[in-house]
Amino acid sequence: MNTTISIEPLTRIEGHARISIDLDEAGNVADSRLHILSLRGFEQFICGRPAEEIPRIVTRICGICPWMHHLASVKAVDACFGVKPPPTGALLRELCQVMAHINDKILHFFFLAAPDFILGPDADYSVRSIMGIVRADPELANRVAAMRKLGQQLLEEFAGRAIHPVAGVSGGFSKPMTKEERQRLQQGCRTLLEFAVFALTYGRDEVLNKYQNILQTLGRIETGFLGTVDTNGAMRLYDGDLRLMKADGSFTDFAPEQYKEHIKEHVENWSYGKMPWADSWQEGFSMDLDRPRGIYRTNTLARINICDHISTPIAQEALEEFRDLFGRPAQGTLLYHWARLIELVYTCERSLELLADDRITGDMIRHNVQPGAGRGVGHVEAPRGTLIHEYTTDENGCITSANMIVGTTHNLAPMNMSVRQAATDLIKNGHYDEGILNRIEMAVRAYDP
Amino acid sequence: MRPEHKPKIIAFCCNWCGYAAADLAGIQRIQYPDSLRIIRVMCSGMVHPEMVLHALNKGADGVMIIGCQLGECHYIDGNEKAMARAELIDELLEDFGFENDRFLITRLSSSESEQFARTVGTMHKRVLELGPNPNSNQDNGDTP
Amino acid sequence: MNIRLAAESLHSCSGCEISLLNIGEALIPLLNRLQLVHLPLLMDHKYSDPAGSETEISIPKAEIGLVSGGVANTHQLQVLEAMRKSCTTLVALGTCGTHGGIPAMINEWPMADALQTVFSTVTTEPVDVPNQDTPPMLDRVYSLDEKTDVDIFLPGCPPDPTIIARVLEDFLDGLTPEPVTKSVCDTCPTRRTGKSERKLLRFTANARFDSNESTASMQCLLEQGFLCMGPVTAGGCGHQGEPACIRARVPCRGCYGPVRHQDNQMLGMLNGLVSQGIDFKTIIDRKSMLRFSGAHGRLRPLKEKKRAS
Repeated sequence: MNTTISIEPLTRIEGHARISIDLDEAGNVADSRLHILSLRGFEQFICGRPAEEIPRIVTRICGICPWMHHLASVKAVDACFGVKPPPTGALLRELCQVMAHINDKILHFFFLAAPDFILGPDADYSVRSIMGIVRADPELANRVAAMRKLGQQLLEEFAGRAIHPVAGVSGGFSKPMTKEERQRLQQGCRTLLEFAVFALTYGRDEVLNKYQNILQTLGRIETGFLGTVDTNGAMRLYDGDLRLMKADGSFTDFAPEQYKEHIKEHVENWSYGKMPWADSWQEGFSMDLDRPRGIYRTNTLARINICDHISTPIAQEALEEFRDLFGRPAQGTLLYHWARLIELVYTCERSLELLADDRITGDMIRHNVQPGAGRGVGHVEAPRGTLIHEYTTDENGCITSANMIVGTTHNLAPMNMSVRQAATDLIKNGHYDEGILNRIEMAVRAYDP
Repeated sequence: MRPEHKPKIIAFCCNWCGYAAADLAGIQRIQYPDSLRIIRVMCSGMVHPEMVLHALNKGADGVMIIGCQLGECHYIDGNEKAMARAELIDELLEDFGFENDRFLITRLSSSESEQFARTVGTMHKRVLELGPNPNSNQDNGDTP
Repeated sequence: MNIRLAAESLHSCSGCEISLLNIGEALIPLLNRLQLVHLPLLMDHKYSDPAGSETEISIPKAEIGLVSGGVANTHQLQVLEAMRKSCTTLVALGTCGTHGGIPAMINEWPMADALQTVFSTVTTEPVDVPNQDTPPMLDRVYSLDEKTDVDIFLPGCPPDPTIIARVLEDFLDGLTPEPVTKSVCDTCPTRRTGKSERKLLRFTANARFDSNESTASMQCLLEQGFLCMGPVTAGGCGHQGEPACIRARVPCRGCYGPVRHQDNQMLGMLNGLVSQGIDFKTIIDRKSMLRFSGAHGRLRPLKEKKRAS
């Protein structure tokens, strides 16, 4: 008899999802699906509202990366109203964004992903969690908790709120940075950088290297990649051009405003989540494991793959080591974790770089804004991938239509494929156990959805 | 056959004028519709819009606020505040799913008992024309 | 005594859970005193046996249950019911759970219209709204107390980590947590002069303040002419002696919901404004005042006749 295995809820991920795996009569995988179970309708309910309020509303798309939605939205509103922030305003925004990245990466690697590696994929579920790490290695757990708190506190003290921020405003930023604030942030970011360098070494030597056997194979699929670079091809998170790379390593760069010429969104009738794909490759959409069409990935591994180099020294060194080991583009799904640690180092280094710029304490933080009719695209690299907001406004500066492509959704089709790949590989003749199902989830967890 | 619609109208009457006028109408045995339910308040200025909305959410078919003539408020400007709020209530009722004709604010002196009965009569007719409160049988999620 | 904790998030963004983690080092002793039995963001307890044919959701028994998010589809409703069945004390964590939160802004539209809009954006392939293995959406977004009995309301978007920690500690110590009774204004240090603007401005220019001085020297933002929801919003966001948004020199938008659970933030605010002689018609999009508390039937689709006009 055919059976369906259902894993629900998917755990140690941010969203709400379920995996179902259909087995055929022989007990091998016939089909699998990753269902997104709900949708909230932001595209609808921001309509009619004054555009300058939207950055304070769309933060609630994601409580883990609210800064990303906040800033992509602020940029889109700026474009609608035809205003650009003064240099100080732009520096303050970018600083907050990269600092939010730091907190996110610590959270994901240590709280969500690490239990699988430190305690083992087969450990009992009651142990395999951050609480298990607290017991197994209290010193590490304390240090991680302290670093996360530090990161969030720095943001909160400067910008008022760490979760669901409000300081990014159309035209610039809501408050300047005082000299004392700058000093405190510099001190804090140095501590975070120290920790990031430790985390990279620890993650590489103590965690990931012990799983060489699955690092390259679990959930592995062959896809293209999407990310953001500057004109020199260096990795960027806050602004720059989009780079869409094919699995063979060839790529096209384009301005974020042109995203519609490259990306379309596919819908399956069993999931509320849309699946973006590369329309400009003109090969259609298919999640076939052997012959995927139009599939690209985003998030850390994608950014590490598409960039020519990283502009900060320690992260660049780590990138070179990574490329020596895994080539470019690297396709192993669990390599997302490694790439995440490299990015953790980059974001700490980048924060210090921004804080070293004397313009950051300037007084001119916001240009006056005249609400009016327009159209604007705002984009940033969110932890989970390229985030695009596009709005149109009427003559009162109120929203008339909106389109959002959220970081995680780029990876929905790849995640479905990775689940399929892992399941097919691991479930044979109807045999599976809790450890095997957790390994399938690990393939999803790497994407940090 | 549909049962006959017997409307209920809540009237917030200020102690000094609206309520006194109603009292006088009673003494003079002036007839007015039995749909009226009077709630005496010290001043029309203390009727919070939320009280009007609450009455409608609980099934009232109409709500009135009856205060003093301008310049005659016992508390100097309570009735002026009530007028400002009335403008607001007028504007807001449709946001919450009610026709704004279900609300009426009026000003009377304590001797205007005839006027009181006429106004209640007008409101009663207005509410009959509107029909039953559209939300009277539904859960509107108001105060549990 | 061993206190077990279960937690679930429904129609929400996970911000409340992140705020829980932001308790920081103090979280670790808390976690040592609590026994987590179900918390999808952090641990791997599943609803049921993966191969089981039953679709029933089972959640282990717990003394305290935290639920964040409102309820918008049949699946979330099942999870909420399972949580209620398993937990002795049910806490609505965050404004989505207590008052609908931002997702309840959708209540101004019929749900079917909203789904149609989402699946017909410029980049989306022309398709029907997914309807296989996707739980049907309810007619609107509900707060938790509209669907089940809630024992403790803990609003905030997100609730400040210190508030969450205090509630958990109180619970462990056998105390009943005190509800918030203060408004944001009660906790706000800004300077009030008694003179206000008669018209309200959009937040398209920054407030007037001296950045080298504390917020105590800044004039009240409402007096400066910006819509600030402080008077009608529950306090609690200001653990550093100033409300969080005020710290960023930005007006409050009401994220902790009304001061008393049943109050209506829009009515309360407008009532206050007109009593001060402020022209309420200068406010664009007044329904945004209910952006955090649109459940309980407060936000609803406009009648066709009004929309047409």
